[in-house]
Amino acid sequence: MPVLEREMSGPGTTWYVALAAFLFGIGALGVLIRRNPLIVLLSLELMLNGGNLALIAFSRHFANGAGQIFGLAVMAVAASEVCVGLGLVVAINRRKLALDVDRLSELRG
Amino acid sequence: MTYGAWICLVSPLVATIVILLGGTTLTRRAAAWIATSSVFVSFGGAVTAFLGVHGAHVAQSPSCLSFGLHCNAQGELTTAWTWLASGHFKFGLELLVDPLSTVMMLIVSGVGGLIVLYSVGYMDGDNEERRYFAYIALFVFSMLMLVEGGNLLLLLVGWGLVGLSSYLLIGFWHERPSAVQAAKKAFVMNAFGDATMALGLFVLIAHTQSLSFGALGGVSGSTANWVALGLLGGAAAKSAQIPLQTWLPDAMEGPTPVSALIHAATMVTAGVYLIARTHVVFEQARTIELIAAGTGALTLLVAGLIALVQTDIKRVIAYSTMSQIGYMFLGAGVGAYANGMFHLMTHAFFKALLFMTAGLAIHALAGEQDIRKMRGLGRVMPITKWCFLAGALALVGIPPFSGFFSKDSIVAATGALGTWYGWVFWLCGIVGALLTGLYTFRLWFLVFPGEPSAFVREHHHRHGRWGEGPWTMLLPVAVLAVLATVGGWLQWAPLWHPFTDWLHYAAATAEGAEPSSTLEYATSAATVIAGLAGIAIAWAIYSERSVAIPKLPALQRVLENKFYFDAVYDRLFYAPAVAIAALLRTEVEEPVILQGGTDLGQTALDAGGIARRIQTGILRTYVFFIAAGAAALVLAFLIAK
Repeated sequence: MPVLEREMSGPGTTWYVALAAFLFGIGALGVLIRRNPLIVLLSLELMLNGGNLALIAFSRHFANGAGQIFGLAVMAVAASEVCVGLGLVVAINRRKLALDVDRLSELRG
Repeated sequence: MTYGAWICLVSPLVATIVILLGGTTLTRRAAAWIATSSVFVSFGGAVTAFLGVHGAHVAQSPSCLSFGLHCNAQGELTTAWTWLASGHFKFGLELLVDPLSTVMMLIVSGVGGLIVLYSVGYMDGDNEERRYFAYIALFVFSMLMLVEGGNLLLLLVGWGLVGLSSYLLIGFWHERPSAVQAAKKAFVMNAFGDATMALGLFVLIAHTQSLSFGALGGVSGSTANWVALGLLGGAAAKSAQIPLQTWLPDAMEGPTPVSALIHAATMVTAGVYLIARTHVVFEQARTIELIAAGTGALTLLVAGLIALVQTDIKRVIAYSTMSQIGYMFLGAGVGAYANGMFHLMTHAFFKALLFMTAGLAIHALAGEQDIRKMRGLGRVMPITKWCFLAGALALVGIPPFSGFFSKDSIVAATGALGTWYGWVFWLCGIVGALLTGLYTFRLWFLVFPGEPSAFVREHHHRHGRWGEGPWTMLLPVAVLAVLATVGGWLQWAPLWHPFTDWLHYAAATAEGAEPSSTLEYATSAATVIAGLAGIAIAWAIYSERSVAIPKLPALQRVLENKFYFDAVYDRLFYAPAVAIAALLRTEVEEPVILQGGTDLGQTALDAGGIARRIQTGILRTYVFFIAAGAAALVLAFLIAK
C-alpha cells in the first residue's frame, strides 16, 4: 500500500509505535511476573491497549480506516475477556482459594 | 398369473418379519398361527399361478383341455425392478412362472403348509416357539425364492438362504452341543456346494456375460463341462449325495417337523430341481450328467445299506431320504427330468408323512428315538400305525401307492439308455428297491406290530382328544397319508403321463430316456418283486418269527461306521485344519499379534510419559513459552529479511 504523506498535528508515527511497544512490553512482563490474577488481567489489558495504539497509529499513518475499525473489535474482545476473567476471580475468591495463579495448577499433566 | 407368484413368495417373508418384530408382544400361539396361515396364503398364490400358467396355454391352443395333456405350456418372466446393475450386467428381481416352477411352488407351499400346521402341535410348549416359527417361515420364503427365481443369481440367493435357515433350524435346540455341531457341519458342507456353484456361475458369466436361464444354452464344450460341474457340486451338497452326504443324518438333531420339511420334502430335493432347471447345460455336458446319474446310483445303494443298521428312527428315514434322492439324481442324470421331478413330488408326500408319523411316535414316547425300545407301538397308536404303513408302502413302491408310479419310471428310463452303464444303473435301481423294502419294513416290524414292549407300556402317554396327538398334528398326517396313497395316480408312464407333458416346455425329457412300454412293464414288475422280496426278508428277520440275522461282523462294522466317510473326512480335512490352526496360534497369534498389541500400547504409554512433563499446569510458564515463541518468530523474520 502506498504511503500517503498527510499533514498531521502532534508527534510522528514512530513515537506512537514506540509507546505502543512500551505498553505491550510492560503488560507482557506483568503477565509473566505477577501472581495475582487481578493484576494479570490488568496487565493483559495493557497488552491489548498497546496493540490497539499501534493499530490506530498505523491506521493514521496509511490514512486507512480499517485499522480503527479493527481497534474497536479488539476493545470488544477485551471487554468480554475481562468479564470472564473477573468472573473467574470472583468464583475463585468465593471458594476461598488462594488468589495465586501458580497455585491454580490442577491441569498439570 | 404372475401376481399369484408374488403373493406366494412374499407372504412367508411378511410372517417372518411380523414375528421377529412382534417379539414378546405376540403370544406363542399367535406366532404359530401367523406362520401357518402365511404358508397357506402362499399355497393359494401358488394355485393361482398354476391356474394362470394352465389357462395361458389353454388360450394358446384351444384343443388342450386337460391339465397339461399334450400342451406346450409356456413360462412368463415377471420383473419387479432392476436389482443389480454393474456395467452391462443387469439383474432384475424377477420371477419365472412356468410349469416347472409352479409345480415346485405347489409342493413347497402345500407340503410346507401341512408341516408348519403339524409343528403348531409338535412345538407346543417349547421354550422358544416364536423363534422357531419365524425361522420356518423364513425357510419357506427362501425355498420359494429358490424355485421361483427368474435368473441364476436369484436362484443362488435362494440357495444360500435355504442353507442359512436350515442351519438355524438344525441348531434350533442350541443348548444341545450335538445340535450345534450338526448345524455347523451342515452349513460347512453346504457352503462347499455353494462355492462350486458360484464358480460355475462365474464361468458362465465370463463366457456369456449373463446369468439368465437362457444364457445356459449359449455354452458348449469344456465351458459347458465346467458350468455343469459347478452346478452339480452345489446340487450334490444340497441334496446330500456322495461325497457330500455326511451332514444329512446329523441334521436329524433338529425338531422333527424341520426334518420333514427341510431334510425330506423340499430343500434336499433342490438339487434335482436345479438339474431339471438347468438341463440345457447338462445336455451339452453329457459326461457330467452321467456323473450325476452315477452319483445318484451310488448314493442310493450306499444310503440304503447304511439304513439297514441304524437304530434311531429318524436316522433310518434320513438315510432313506438320501437313497430316494439318489433315485431322483439317477432320473435327472439320464435325462428323464420329468420322472425325477415326479418322484420329487411323491417323495415329498410320503417322506414328510413318514417323518411326521415318526414325530408322533417320538412325541408320545417323550422324546425316545431308539427303535429297539419301541416294539408294539401300533397297539397303542393305531392311527400312526396305519398312516406310517401307507407311507412305507409308498416308499417301497408297492402299487397302488404313489412311489410305485414315480420310482419305476426312473428305473425304466435308465434301462432305455441301452448302453452298458444304462443297464448298471437299472440294476442299481432294482437292488435299491430291494434295500428299500428291507430297511423300511425292518423299521415297521421293529416299531409297530406285536405286544407293546415294557418301555412302551411304561413311557407311552396319551395326549390330544384321540390319544395320539392334537388335531393340528393328526390332520396333516391324514392328508399326507391320502396324498401318499393317491398322489402317484397322476401319472403312469406307459398309459397316462400328464405330468411329463406339463413339464415338457421347461424340462423336456432327453432323447434316449423314453422307455418302451415293454421295458416299463418289465421294470415295474422287477422293482415290485424286489420290493416285496425286501419286505419278505424284513418279515422273516424282524417280525416275531425272527430268523437269525446272518452274521457278517466285518460288513456290519463297516455299515455302522457309515462306510467310514466321517472318519476319512476327519483325517483328511478336519485334522489338518486343526493342526494348522494350532500352529498358527502358537507361531503367529501369540508371539506376533497378541504381543504386538501389548508392545504398541507400551510404546504409546512411554511417549506419553515424556510429553506430559511439558504440561506443568502453571499459567506463567505457558505465557513464557508463548512470548518466547513470538519473540523467536519475530527474530526469525527480521533475520530472514
